[in-house]
Amino acid sequence: MSGKKRQQWGSKLGIILAVAGSAIGLGNFLRFPVQAAQNGGGAFMIPYFVSFLLLGIPLMWIEWTLGRLGGGFGHGTGPGIFHTMWQKNRFIKYFGVIGIFGPIAIFIYYTYVESWLLGYTFFAMTGKYAAATTQGAMQDFLSGYQGIKTNDYFSGIGSAYIFFVITFAMNIAVVYYGIKGGIEKLCNWAMPVLLICGILIAVRVLTLGTPDIARPDWNLKNGLGFLWNPDFKALKNAKVWMAAAGQIFFTLSVGIGVILTYASYLKKNDDVVLSGLTAASTNEFAEVILGGSIVIPAAYVFFGPQQITSIANSGSFNLGFVTMPLIFEKIPLGAFFATLWFLLLFLAGITSSVSLAQPAVAFLEDEFDLSRKESVSIFSVVCFVLCQPAIFFLANGVVDELDFWGGTFCLVLFGTIEAILFSWVFGIDKAWSEMHTGADINIPKFYKFIIKYITPLFLIAILGSWFVQQGIPVISMRNVPPENAKFVILTRIMLLGMFLLLAILVRIIWSRKKQEENV
Amino acid sequence: MIFSGWLFLIMSWLMIIFIMIFCIARVLGDKENNK
Repeated sequence: MSGKKRQQWGSKLGIILAVAGSAIGLGNFLRFPVQAAQNGGGAFMIPYFVSFLLLGIPLMWIEWTLGRLGGGFGHGTGPGIFHTMWQKNRFIKYFGVIGIFGPIAIFIYYTYVESWLLGYTFFAMTGKYAAATTQGAMQDFLSGYQGIKTNDYFSGIGSAYIFFVITFAMNIAVVYYGIKGGIEKLCNWAMPVLLICGILIAVRVLTLGTPDIARPDWNLKNGLGFLWNPDFKALKNAKVWMAAAGQIFFTLSVGIGVILTYASYLKKNDDVVLSGLTAASTNEFAEVILGGSIVIPAAYVFFGPQQITSIANSGSFNLGFVTMPLIFEKIPLGAFFATLWFLLLFLAGITSSVSLAQPAVAFLEDEFDLSRKESVSIFSVVCFVLCQPAIFFLANGVVDELDFWGGTFCLVLFGTIEAILFSWVFGIDKAWSEMHTGADINIPKFYKFIIKYITPLFLIAILGSWFVQQGIPVISMRNVPPENAKFVILTRIMLLGMFLLLAILVRIIWSRKKQEENV
Repeated sequence: MIFSGWLFLIMSWLMIIFIMIFCIARVLGDKENNK
């Protein structure tokens, strides 16, 4: 541990908004409504809230507590924090590498997707896609922008690349200014703006009524019905329960490693219980109330019952970049609301991506004793290079592959390790007392049982079921077209190289620490 | 399609709004921690 003073948050509200900003992302507005509509509608909310109480909230508290504990020992990332908790085990720090590797793997494609949102905010303001009035034309616009095909809208990937460079530079600038001067400042204004944009769009959608009198069935009430009408038979299906648990897991940003790093900048007696709950409930507001009121009801009202199912199944990107712009073209002041929509998603994106950058920067600062300037410089050069495959080989499955390993596999695995380490290795009694240090509210006692038994078991069940359902087909490349196989393999080699490099860095630093102790 | 999901919509919204207001009020009310 170096003698360098670690950064700190400026206020309690600052870290709450930063954690909520990290959690609120595209999934809140695009993934949740589709998951709910496909998995029992209103009845989906039963397993969803059960998962929130048994999985989401406990993991949130675990990560906040572990982060604050590690920060006290000068560690802000997985390797140092895990080693602090289980010093006798010399391998545990390598499992902690997942908490740096996962965020980098997500960052290198997420910033590119985020840059599309900045681009579309600009296009919505300038009316660039106004000529595209059908699903096909809007899809063409998106493909042209991504450089997948050349058409009347775009002659190459140039525009997308410019917006990417701007977005990347914005992310680096925020991280460069540090926790208080960069991330906290950004979230302090971006989060209220994001919520206001979301409320304005939700109110607009909820007051749509029946816009086309010739089609009385295409109305808001039926749109809400498509999303919320309960199908109780779905509750007998284990897949629905797993879908709800997965949604809670992914929406709260737990298991990535970013909350560990954010919480490591807390003071020893800062509250983690109320703060964690506040960040989680803010995320739920954005997801259930705003996310559930925008995309699906609006798509139903303008595309009707025949097309809504195929739209819901078309994937998050299609909903956000194809369906929603078309919907805004059909309503008064559409350009204004479309600008708000993309701005909302861009803010949701940037408050998440800066959090993904911080663990790697914190690792270099804390463990290698580098200055913030040096750490951010190294991070930005390495990540800028790593981003290129996601940009130029988007159509070849590179982003899907990065999303699978960084955004799914690592999350579930890291979350499971954290939960077991916290309750069983560190010890639930010690953990419970650590959690309550400086706490502004008391956690009900039965949560001790939940954190010790239910949460780890729930996570192991998710890990197992997810591995069988999605893991095996993806790992064995069952659905990869032959022409994409080499790109997928090269992406895996790149990821493996990244992981090994991080593991070697951990080995070097701990050997050095051991030598220093012996001198 | 008949909209029969009112109960789920209203209960979900109320529960989230209640928890959120409770938490934010407690956080904002704690001036010492919010310096």
